[in-house]
Amino acid sequence: MDLGTRKILDRSFTAVGVTSILLMATALLVVIVPIFTGGIGAIFFKGTIEHRKLQYNEFGKGDLDVLQRQIVETDSYREKVFRMLEAFEVEMELMEPDERSAYSPKYKKVRDLLSHLFGPLPGEMEPILLRYQYGVTRWDEAEESLHKLMFVTKWDYSNPDEMAKPYFVPRSEEFEGTALAGLFPYMESNLENMLLPEQTFYWGFITERSLDAHIFGGIWAEIQGTFFLAVGAMLFAFPLGVIAAIYFTEYAKDNFFTSILRSANSTLAGVPSIVFGLFGLAFFINTVKVSESKSVLAGSLTLAIMILPTIIRAAEEAILAVPKTYKEASLGLGSTKWRTIMTVILPAALPGIITGGIISLGRAAGETAPIIFTAAVSVGATIGLADVFSSPTPALSWNIYNLASEHEAANEIRHVQYGMVLALISIVLLLNLSAILLRARISKKLKG
Amino acid sequence: MPNATLDSGKKPDAFVLTPEKLRRQRIAKFFGEGFLLVVASFVAIVVLFIFYFVAVDAIPFFQQRGFTEFFTSTSWYPADEPGEFGALAIIYGSGMVTIGSALIAVPLGISAAICLSDVLPFSVRQYAKPVIEMLAAIPSVAYGFFALVIFAPLLQNYGGPILMWAWWLIAGPFVLLAVIVVADLITSGDGGGSERKTIRWTVTGVLGILALVFLFWVGNALNAIQILSGTNALNVSLILSFMALPTIVSVSEDSLQAVGRELREGSYALGATRAETIVKTVLPAASSGILAAVILGIMRAIGETMVVWMASGNSSHIPDPWYNYLDSIRTLTATIAGDMGEADQVTGSARYHVLFAMGLLLLVFSFICNLVSERIVVRQRKILAGE
Repeated sequence: MDLGTRKILDRSFTAVGVTSILLMATALLVVIVPIFTGGIGAIFFKGTIEHRKLQYNEFGKGDLDVLQRQIVETDSYREKVFRMLEAFEVEMELMEPDERSAYSPKYKKVRDLLSHLFGPLPGEMEPILLRYQYGVTRWDEAEESLHKLMFVTKWDYSNPDEMAKPYFVPRSEEFEGTALAGLFPYMESNLENMLLPEQTFYWGFITERSLDAHIFGGIWAEIQGTFFLAVGAMLFAFPLGVIAAIYFTEYAKDNFFTSILRSANSTLAGVPSIVFGLFGLAFFINTVKVSESKSVLAGSLTLAIMILPTIIRAAEEAILAVPKTYKEASLGLGSTKWRTIMTVILPAALPGIITGGIISLGRAAGETAPIIFTAAVSVGATIGLADVFSSPTPALSWNIYNLASEHEAANEIRHVQYGMVLALISIVLLLNLSAILLRARISKKLKG
Repeated sequence: MPNATLDSGKKPDAFVLTPEKLRRQRIAKFFGEGFLLVVASFVAIVVLFIFYFVAVDAIPFFQQRGFTEFFTSTSWYPADEPGEFGALAIIYGSGMVTIGSALIAVPLGISAAICLSDVLPFSVRQYAKPVIEMLAAIPSVAYGFFALVIFAPLLQNYGGPILMWAWWLIAGPFVLLAVIVVADLITSGDGGGSERKTIRWTVTGVLGILALVFLFWVGNALNAIQILSGTNALNVSLILSFMALPTIVSVSEDSLQAVGRELREGSYALGATRAETIVKTVLPAASSGILAAVILGIMRAIGETMVVWMASGNSSHIPDPWYNYLDSIRTLTATIAGDMGEADQVTGSARYHVLFAMGLLLLVFSFICNLVSERIVVRQRKILAGE
């Protein structure tokens, strides 16, 4: 081959390698950036008057005087809409029966959309579900609802080779010449006056419980559940892992038995996470019966088994990284092996061991599959510390799945889902970041 | 000073080892080490327990239904009365996403590992490593959410253009490179001089045009594809590959670093470029370690639950045609996770035990993979240490 070609090949070889690293960095950004921007939207958004009503009624937050003034103001604008509805109802009464029955489904649709915007309309019964007691709480949703009110979505099936395409027809056409015709331009120009959107910093998203299956409210129950599960898992796994690592590094002889133990460790590390869930269900709940059914304890134990190999490996590495001279100096001064381990080796290895622990904590917090059958419920209140032995808990990881895939209003509460994912990712990445920084400090220190 | 004491407060015999003290020490040591051993064996006990308890709940299924239906039928109707438990399509789905993700992750992971170990200077490497660690740290449910809520709609709405751009960006440079190399190889036998240069440019030009036609042809075919559902095997494979990448990169980087400087320097001394050194010398020496890395990455992909549960479409059938990655599939892990909610009310039924049978299948597969990869690593270490 030509020297020039060989050079080109060499360069492109380098380029492929660098590209693949860049691709991984891009992938990281592509995953994190939309989740970050979407998640911020759960905390920082334009909240309507309905959001403030909800906050005052359910959590007692907000200024009552201001709120009442705003309610009076918005009601004065909404009044006109309700008047138009009444006028149209009177008009419908006077219509021919077939004309009336042609209008009635269209009118019902309008009423539904309006009650979605403003909450129950006058004359309607107070709904039982909280989600129907309030109108839209977020301005972006209100704009979407307005669009739905203004336009009827129709589908274009004209091209049989392609999927049908949506197109929009103004809804006002349906009500041309009736008392309701004025409603649409009025809604379009006065929606802001009727909802009074304000830039809202909703810190309560983190600190409040959820209302009506996450339609409103925050995610505190999930954050707390994740915390209990992860910390519980660490309480079991960390001491066990460190002790096992001490055995492997300082005491284990190089024989068949040790090699079996080591290979058991790597087998455990390779077990699929869902199998841990099955095991937790079959062993902790159905056989040992640590609790009646799902509980935080059972989930923590299952997670503890899952993160044990990681902790052992990290602790082993940290202990092996302690310079031999430390140990020799201590032994040379006449202290026993155990004393050397406790007073010299472990303190020197501690930052490394803690690094491993932090990473495992993040893994325990983020893992879903092991807690599906052992600890997680989709809707639940915050639980007290005393309940961890008996009751299940909602957890961030599980509820992200549940809200995104199984919730009946999954599309309407995307912001909650994004917020949850952001909370989970922030917890995990912050833990990892601190581990990385800690490790950088250790390696500097060991270099001297 | 024979009678001097180290510490005036203590009696000199505080430092004397009496037989009594020695015995006490020995007993303490015995029990202490015993305790450590028990704790260290805990992991092995747990592994045994996992196998035992998953198998105990899996065996009743095979006793009730036998093996044939589970492994050969594709009709999966566990809720019917009597239920049908053909898991072939589900096993196939698991295999499909695993292979798909390996196809993406292996080349990417190995080239990234090479880049980390041989190409990048240390200062840059320091920043690349945390990126890989972060990729590994992101919880699987977050990847699943991304796949379902962000990536699937994109794939559904702009599937054709996305595929075309991916084709151009990936295949384009490689085809260009192939053209240059092939042109060189074809013309290298002829004599030197300006005549050869002309021939070579002509050949390159002709091949280049052919290659462009080929690229355009495939690209347009891809552009015309309409993806009916964004939750499909391609989506899942892509996401899984990025989840398997960190494992593949870090394990293969370790094994590349284990190949010593001497081999590399020998190759450079013979006049090889860096690419030639790596491909012809370093990679063969590290091949078994890289194989272990690939196996570990595959294990990660096949055992992953949340991404496939959320974004694979969960439809239990073998895609038509069999290699159609744009079709929805269903995997073992997703089936266990998804069906247990209804099945665990009926503990003891075939419907409950079949999920444990699937768990056992996964467990045995990952166990074998683990054993193989461990053997490979041990052997490589021996070979590299011996020679």
